[in-house]
Amino acid sequence: MSALARCSSCLPRSASTTRHGSILSRSLATEASAGPSTTQLAPAPGKIKSHETIGISIVVNRSPFLTRIPSRFERAFHAYQQRIERALHNPFPYEFYFKQGSLLETKFRAEERKRERMTLGAPFGTIEPQTSAESKAQSARESAVEALDREEEEIIPRRGKADEINDVRSLDRKGERNLYLLLLKKSNSEQVWRFPEGSLQKGELLHESAERNLLKECGVVMDTWVVSRNPIGLYKSSSAGGTSLSRLFFYKAHIMAGQVRPDGSNVLDYAWLTKQEMEERLDKEYWHGVQDMLSDF
Amino acid sequence: MSAAPAVARAAGPARQAFSLRPSRTPPKIRKPLKRDDQGLPIPRCKIFVRDTHPSRMMDHYFSTLQDDLMYMTYVHESGPRKPPREIRLKFDPEDPYSKNRVNTPVGGSQLGRKPAPVTSWDNVVQLERVQIHTMIKEATSNRVNLLGPIMMMRALSGETEGGGGRHTSEGVQVVRSIKTVGGWLRPRMPIGAKVDLKGPKMYDFISTLTEFVLPRLREYTGFVMPASTQQNFTPSSVSGVVSIGLPPEAMGLFPQIEVNLDAYPGSYGMHIHFITNAEGQGAQNKARALLSGLQVPFVRR
Repeated sequence: MSALARCSSCLPRSASTTRHGSILSRSLATEASAGPSTTQLAPAPGKIKSHETIGISIVVNRSPFLTRIPSRFERAFHAYQQRIERALHNPFPYEFYFKQGSLLETKFRAEERKRERMTLGAPFGTIEPQTSAESKAQSARESAVEALDREEEEIIPRRGKADEINDVRSLDRKGERNLYLLLLKKSNSEQVWRFPEGSLQKGELLHESAERNLLKECGVVMDTWVVSRNPIGLYKSSSAGGTSLSRLFFYKAHIMAGQVRPDGSNVLDYAWLTKQEMEERLDKEYWHGVQDMLSDF
Repeated sequence: MSAAPAVARAAGPARQAFSLRPSRTPPKIRKPLKRDDQGLPIPRCKIFVRDTHPSRMMDHYFSTLQDDLMYMTYVHESGPRKPPREIRLKFDPEDPYSKNRVNTPVGGSQLGRKPAPVTSWDNVVQLERVQIHTMIKEATSNRVNLLGPIMMMRALSGETEGGGGRHTSEGVQVVRSIKTVGGWLRPRMPIGAKVDLKGPKMYDFISTLTEFVLPRLREYTGFVMPASTQQNFTPSSVSGVVSIGLPPEAMGLFPQIEVNLDAYPGSYGMHIHFITNAEGQGAQNKARALLSGLQVPFVRR
């Protein structure tokens, strides 16, 4: 197993996630059932001596599920490029795509005129003069199309309820940003925010320990995927303050479904935060050790 | 001086909406433009069409996939690599005996043994282009049979020759045969069509493929990978290209074609080649990991 702990052997892993039925996207809100994998990962009973100095920490990431809102400059740039594209593009082959005089063609022509006028300005996209009979038929068709248009789809707003009340426990908050999981833990009669972490047991590989500790800290009602068998970072604490672990290897994981269930005794609370929100909750030394592993946006 | 009012306007109460459309008429062209042979005006500078909209799949690659792929494909190496072993020259080029003889490399062909480059942040596997390719057997008897596939590729890619003012954009190209195949092909006969996609259009094509086409294919679980026991020293496994094939039924599932499937004289299958920047040993596996992240499913039997 340890010989396999090279990254090239990690590759089929991402493919194997697609082997099960759920090939395509799955909503974050779905409940993850505690599968058989969780029982395998439970620490085996017996004489396992935990290693005192090496610890494993997991950076659990909720990746963005909304597209980023482009900046004002980007929007202006795109609008300008759209104008150039419209001015240069080949004529649209109406007769190839539409039956002559069909409702859809009328609708498309009307929309196209509107877009033309929108992008290039007034003389473009205005209706050419027609004979009276033609214009009558045209207006009849357009009114029919308008009747079609009334059934419009409702667009789900970008900001949900979690954004309005700033619910840091919700996974639906800040859909366009990367969120990371922090846990509020008891240590020496004070409460500190930390990434999920745990100690390395004897004879255990680092990435196995990452999966085990993640389940131990966050509960089994969460569907996660630890990205690689290589750690993404190392944090060496100068003092023993906060934890007994002096070296922490960080692993990256993604949350696919479910939610954290703090056990209440060791882990008191949890929060899904952006990098910028995290700074005020972490102590300064820890923050300087971990900040470069996180995505700015 | 002219900048001052603009600053004052910006500092005033925030304007909620602003128009991206020019609100004034364009300035008059004082000096008449030169005209080309067909009487069309030649603009004073070269005009290119660049990105016209944000690309969702491309954003996904840069915000999520790239980091993950870097962690997954990282190979730790302590210290710099050893220089390649000096192999004694078997043939002395000045020796009149060996001068014009075939000089094969010592130890056989080294094509599939090219080592992967040292892992770094700037050579994370990334898509360079996607090529769609189809061969039409019937085109050997009548080249009109190529028109359907060419129209299909135009609809799929939106690429035209010199499209967007780029001379590198080749649009849909006709593939011609290279050599004689007994009684069937002669050199330079048109037998297929291909088109290259790059940039945002490439990512848009992949998202169409994975969201509309692959989920609706019948009796399909994923693209079958070669067995894990297969040796990975072949030239194809070090080239970083992943090729998949779609049956003719898949053509009607693309939304661009679905709207007027009747307008096409037939349905055509296609090969899709995903060309990445990965090279060296394990390059094809890296490319598969990238595609897997872009929701193209792979299975191993």
